Amino acid sequence: MGAVMSTGEHVTTAVPGPGHRPARHSEPPAGPSAGARPAGHRRWRAPAVAALVLALLTGGSLFLLKAGQLTGAPSADNRALTDTEATARVTGDVSNALTSVFSYTPGDTGATREAARQLLAGKAARQYAELFGQVEKRAAEQKLTLTTHVVRAGVTRLNGSSAQLLVFLDQVSQRQGGAPATAPAQLSVTAELGDGHWRIVDITSR
Amino acid sequence: MRTGGAALAARTSVVLALLFCAFGGWSYAQADGDESLAFAASRDAALDDGKRHVETLTGFDGRKPEAALRRWLDASTGPLREELREAKTKTGPTARARITDAALTVLDDRTGTAELIATVEVETDTAGSGAPDTERKRLEATLARTADGWKVRSLAAVPVGGV
Repeated sequence: MGAVMSTGEHVTTAVPGPGHRPARHSEPPAGPSAGARPAGHRRWRAPAVAALVLALLTGGSLFLLKAGQLTGAPSADNRALTDTEATARVTGDVSNALTSVFSYTPGDTGATREAARQLLAGKAARQYAELFGQVEKRAAEQKLTLTTHVVRAGVTRLNGSSAQLLVFLDQVSQRQGGAPATAPAQLSVTAELGDGHWRIVDITSR
Repeated sequence: MRTGGAALAARTSVVLALLFCAFGGWSYAQADGDESLAFAASRDAALDDGKRHVETLTGFDGRKPEAALRRWLDASTGPLREELREAKTKTGPTARARITDAALTVLDDRTGTAELIATVEVETDTAGSGAPDTERKRLEATLARTADGWKVRSLAAVPVGGV
């Protein structure tokens, strides 16, 4: 190897002596002191190489550490707003879901129940099921119509299959023949992605 | 022969260390130049600063109105700051605000503007010795990036039935 990499006129075959190493790159042509040189050369060579290797390894490690800090930061995992397409999709899906499950007419609560079955899962589905019995009864008794509009929606956290949103709603309720009344509602929503659709798994009222 | 082996080992380790360092440098350059990482960092900074400032602007310390006003001025910028400065010291009951949730709806990293929605619980001391009133508010704020972080440019309640 040493021979292959030597440059200039000093090739291995020229110096066959034991322990004698071929002269290398920047070394001046062998003069009177040529015999003493390789020994001195070797003496500083090992520490120099070790220092160089150490410096390179330290530098590389620092670079990787910095890169890791940038890519591994918690902010990097969250794709809310950075992935505009995914952000728009989850906002749209969740807004549509809330509009569907919180809107009903006295004659057609079945459609709302069916929408809830498809759009809600987990804890949100259980809570909804508990409430909806009463809602259905009241809707029928009082001929109550509820219409929900999404006023504002923002995504706080979004990664592969889970998202967290804050949604502002206006809910218009109207008894048959009565005047409509609008009430605000603010919900923190957790949604999960399955089969290409976002389903709401948790709702907290704010 | 032994020294040949040592030289080979030395060269190999230098080459490997060089490659490792180069890879590290490349990784760092990639991460540093990644715009979505910078955007994500701005988003989190805007949300954190925005939450903190909206909380400040929604609360009021009735016992130390001057300090409260100073905090308001620190939290705001642009038109809102001018408006608050004009208002001088005001008096009023003490109100403690707590952000219950907040989200950015828009972020423009290039121009340094963002829009934030937040729900706030405000506990206001009543004049008598009765229990404080608790009110839930839904707010919308426009944020602007300043040399001193993100600040609130405008703050308003999101009206009910306004759309």
